Amino acid sequence: MAAVSVHQFAQCITCHAWSPDHSMIAFCPNNNEVHIYKLLEGKWEKIHVLQKHDQIVSGVDWGTESNRIVTVSHDRNSYVWSQEATEWVPTLVILRLNRAALCVQWSPTENKFAVGSGAKTVCVCYYEQENNWWVSKVIRKRHDSSVTSVAWHPDNILLATTSTDGKCRVFSTFIKGVDVKNSARASSESKFGEQIMQLDLSYSWAFGMKWSPSGNMLAYVGHNSMIYFVDDVGPSPSAQSVAFRDLPLRDVLFISERMVIGVGFDCNPMVFTADRRGLWSFLRFLDERITSSSAKSGSQISGKFGKFYGQSKYGSNDTVETSRTHGRAHENCITNIVPLKKPGDTAVTQFSTSGLDGKVVIWELQSQDDLSEYL
Amino acid sequence: MAEFEEADNAEAIITRIEHKSRKIESLLKQYKPVEALKTALEGSPPNTKDERCKSANWIVVHRAIMAIKDVDSLFSSLDPEYYDVLMKYLYRGLSTGDRPTCDQCLRIHEKLTEKAGLGCILRSLADKVNTV
Repeated sequence: MAAVSVHQFAQCITCHAWSPDHSMIAFCPNNNEVHIYKLLEGKWEKIHVLQKHDQIVSGVDWGTESNRIVTVSHDRNSYVWSQEATEWVPTLVILRLNRAALCVQWSPTENKFAVGSGAKTVCVCYYEQENNWWVSKVIRKRHDSSVTSVAWHPDNILLATTSTDGKCRVFSTFIKGVDVKNSARASSESKFGEQIMQLDLSYSWAFGMKWSPSGNMLAYVGHNSMIYFVDDVGPSPSAQSVAFRDLPLRDVLFISERMVIGVGFDCNPMVFTADRRGLWSFLRFLDERITSSSAKSGSQISGKFGKFYGQSKYGSNDTVETSRTHGRAHENCITNIVPLKKPGDTAVTQFSTSGLDGKVVIWELQSQDDLSEYL
Repeated sequence: MAEFEEADNAEAIITRIEHKSRKIESLLKQYKPVEALKTALEGSPPNTKDERCKSANWIVVHRAIMAIKDVDSLFSSLDPEYYDVLMKYLYRGLSTGDRPTCDQCLRIHEKLTEKAGLGCILRSLADKVNTV
């Protein structure tokens, strides 16, 4: 089995993140709190509850280097939590938003973090030593709709965003005094907030997006059952749009330059791979080997449409709806995918997913023989 | 100026649709309903906001959809590139509320969903720009 551990933490999980050594998990159980659980003698025990937000926590990220947790919420605020002795101490970060914060991510060197919001803006926050204060710089007037996802390029400067206007954009977030100029990188030439690229491939909401490990490629998904792969990020990008036959995705993760895992409304992670020529396609579902034969998917669909088609053979098909997810690791839409990479690991072979069913599932790719060539 | 261009453009599209309509009639006379449907879906939806063009094109596609007798053989010769646009026209057909049209669209819808999956439905519903 690809799913090595399944744990029901709550009714619903909006977001989750792992401690640097993966011994603890922080997640929001669909309310204004963040719960931290630790694996003690084979059992997950709740050890902390981070209570400061007033509304649903929409994003959480745990810095691997700094061991700091950043949270954002629909209450339009963000907190950076540092561990002092046994307590987590919050520091308020004023984002100056007039709409909900939707997503957050630490930059690779963890001196900045980015927040996407419903105010059509992205806040890039950094720490100001002299004032002992987190400062938020805002990228305004670039997005036409809510920013659903942010992703940092490995160079710590470029930031990619997706939004509900269907577009994927890449910005420079160079901040004087925080980032050092590096003449080897073209991206450090540009000023803060400068748009490097805008992709207009999707006609519907765009969700989750990630960079490949090398930073040469990025992938994002649309609410129209499409996934987009972008190469040569810059003034003249080349892109591939891959349509698939199942429900749309919500988030993606690059495993290697040739393999991407997508998760979403099908409750089952999808594997996308690139062939030798770099052409991407859907390979298979990760959770048990479902062949995508038309006969099988036909039977899944007919439950819903049976009454419309008005044919008696579909009459007693009430069980079909549950059979779609029956016996699988996830029973509802998967909204998050997080890599489980220990310091020193060269490749990601483990990752975790969480979603509306309140489960956190850990997946292992090394046991999947047919995928080993893409790792 | 832009309005004139739009109007000129609309006239050109209408002419193209009329031409397509004649071609479809002749294909139907030769008992080639699948070829007729392919021709109808070619260049659809018309790249315009003009409702007159969209309606004209719908009439042509509707004619071809209603001429399909054998749905199974339709999908043995219809290429996947037509699936997404056909799905959009099936929903337009269902929105008319006309009994024979709805019956026919549902018949094709069932087979098309088997063939192209729920993703095809999502693509046709989610696209608010290229409406049919």
